[in-house]
Amino acid sequence: MTMFAPLAGIWMPSPQDLRLFGAELSLVAAIVALLVLSMLFGRSERLGAGVALAAAVAVIFFCRDAAGLVDTGARAALTPPGAASMLVADRFTVFFKLLLALFLATIIWLWMTGAAAGRTGGEVRPVPAGPEFFVLLLTSMLGMSLMVATPNLLVMMIAVETASLPSYMLAASDRRSRAGAEAALKYVLFGATTAAVMAYGLSLLFGLFGTLDLPAIAAAVSVKGMPALGWIAMAAFLVGVAFKISAVPLHFWCPDVFEGAPVEVATWLSVASKAAGLGLLLRIVAAFGGDVPATIALPLAWGVGLVAAATCTLGNLAALRQESVKRMLAYSSIAHAGYMMMAAAIPPAAAGDATVRPAMAAIVSYLFVYLLMNLGAFGVTAMVAWSQGSDRLAAFTGLGRRAPWLAVPMSICLFSLVGLPPLAGFAAKWWLLAALGQGADRHSWLWWLVFVAVINTAVSLYYYVRVIRQMFLADDERLERLAVPVGGLALANGCAVLLLLLGTVAFGLMRDRSLAYAACLARAAPESVVAAQDRLAWNGGPEGMVVNGADRP
Amino acid sequence: MGSITLMHYLVLGALLFCCGLLTMVVKRNAVGILIGVELVLNAANVNLVAFGRYRGAGIDGQAAALFVIVLAAAEAAVAIAIFMNFYRHLTTVDVDRGDLLRG
Repeated sequence: MTMFAPLAGIWMPSPQDLRLFGAELSLVAAIVALLVLSMLFGRSERLGAGVALAAAVAVIFFCRDAAGLVDTGARAALTPPGAASMLVADRFTVFFKLLLALFLATIIWLWMTGAAAGRTGGEVRPVPAGPEFFVLLLTSMLGMSLMVATPNLLVMMIAVETASLPSYMLAASDRRSRAGAEAALKYVLFGATTAAVMAYGLSLLFGLFGTLDLPAIAAAVSVKGMPALGWIAMAAFLVGVAFKISAVPLHFWCPDVFEGAPVEVATWLSVASKAAGLGLLLRIVAAFGGDVPATIALPLAWGVGLVAAATCTLGNLAALRQESVKRMLAYSSIAHAGYMMMAAAIPPAAAGDATVRPAMAAIVSYLFVYLLMNLGAFGVTAMVAWSQGSDRLAAFTGLGRRAPWLAVPMSICLFSLVGLPPLAGFAAKWWLLAALGQGADRHSWLWWLVFVAVINTAVSLYYYVRVIRQMFLADDERLERLAVPVGGLALANGCAVLLLLLGTVAFGLMRDRSLAYAACLARAAPESVVAAQDRLAWNGGPEGMVVNGADRP
Repeated sequence: MGSITLMHYLVLGALLFCCGLLTMVVKRNAVGILIGVELVLNAANVNLVAFGRYRGAGIDGQAAALFVIVLAAAEAAVAIAIFMNFYRHLTTVDVDRGDLLRG
């Protein structure tokens, strides 16, 4: 075996480490399998759906496995000895991957329902064609999984792009649709621009700190302070993250893409893209907690808080005057991203402090509840749009009589989006505000965020109730009953029932699980920080941007 | 004439960044905007390689620049495919003509 001798010194991850990243590996395997199988057996959509579903199941299996492995609170990483980690697995990443996998399965369910309806009903129904649709879906999920699982700025950027590029194509997956083509054009131009700015910020951060490892940068900042250029570079990097969350002022793509893209794609992006972006933001904010002095952690928190308040308010105000329900839901998803960002604005306190955990747990539970209510609302909108050929408010007229098993779950989801008791939306929002209030004990400016959130909740009642009014109070006798596919009924009612349960009897369960999943984020990997500090001492640290030729190695 | 220092490269990078940003803002043609994006990405590359060479962080900077090059190529491929799709519908790639979705 002499030919393998040169490989002997190369570091290989242990099987134990690889098990932690089984979710990503199974996604990659499914993507390759799908490409190869579609060459062997022809371009079958059922095959694509089947493989994608199998991938979702595999991800769930590996996440449960990984949850057991990291349950002791330790975080593991794929790290060659002496180097900073590029990928980490902790309970927080496990939660995000589970969320994405569950969501992927429901998106495939929605797609199958639509495909079946398109075949039997014979109406104009855009079916995203071919196995490519699922390849793109899985690839974007791979990117999103990596987004939440890395402390390295370069890997973050690659992950954001891995998630974005397939999403652009997904938006245009119905090639007959002019709206889809336009949505994809706006999406790709906006995304490419923000990605380029992000790359420039990354290059400046690399120059200032001599590393792309986030804990190492945080360590350097806490020792030597943040130069003015560092703030600009940081803001430029966060532009790319804000694009994924669709935070103001980088939210313009969101309503256009959601309106123009097929409804499965809009649903997928509304939750998955935002969840992954938030996970990334949380990791950045958490890295600047702990030992980082308040002069650096506080301005960052103020920035996030300001953007969160603006996102929430603008999203709600724009939703007020929408006639297209899909577009209204797009603005509502912007507003909800704002609510969730508020919890990310709570400044992380010292490492042992308990305040961060309720905030993280609040976001974790909010994301799960948001998934359910958004899925239900988008699902019903899809059913209506498929049978009526329109997603305007007028298409919902008299739905309470024409399709009560759609109208009732739709109302439950919308009331939950407002945040009315006894629904899960109320519980999640209440917990979020409680976390903000708890943080306000130390930072009284957080009360402003609570104030903004409460006012916005009241405003949002108007546009959600408008849809409910149209369904139950407006009616036209000439309109016939809707034929709704059984799969769609199951999806909408399942979401509604879960929202009712989570808001009442299962609330304690959700709370415990969220606390468990949120436990590990705040802790930075100590070994990578030490390695980075050694490296910095050798490099000469962040000061002295103007380096002469004399410094050449 | 003194020797070329890190500062020279950073100024070049900043100039490229500004040119790219200006192109992205001014151009109405989708391909023009994409060219602006490429300029900004290359500004990042110049910075990364210069920092990697002068600040002595091993080959991290150069490796990062390689990744950014690959990202730029992938992005251009996807973007141009989407432009073609847009062109099939409107026989133009003027972004101002995309006025179906608004509000």
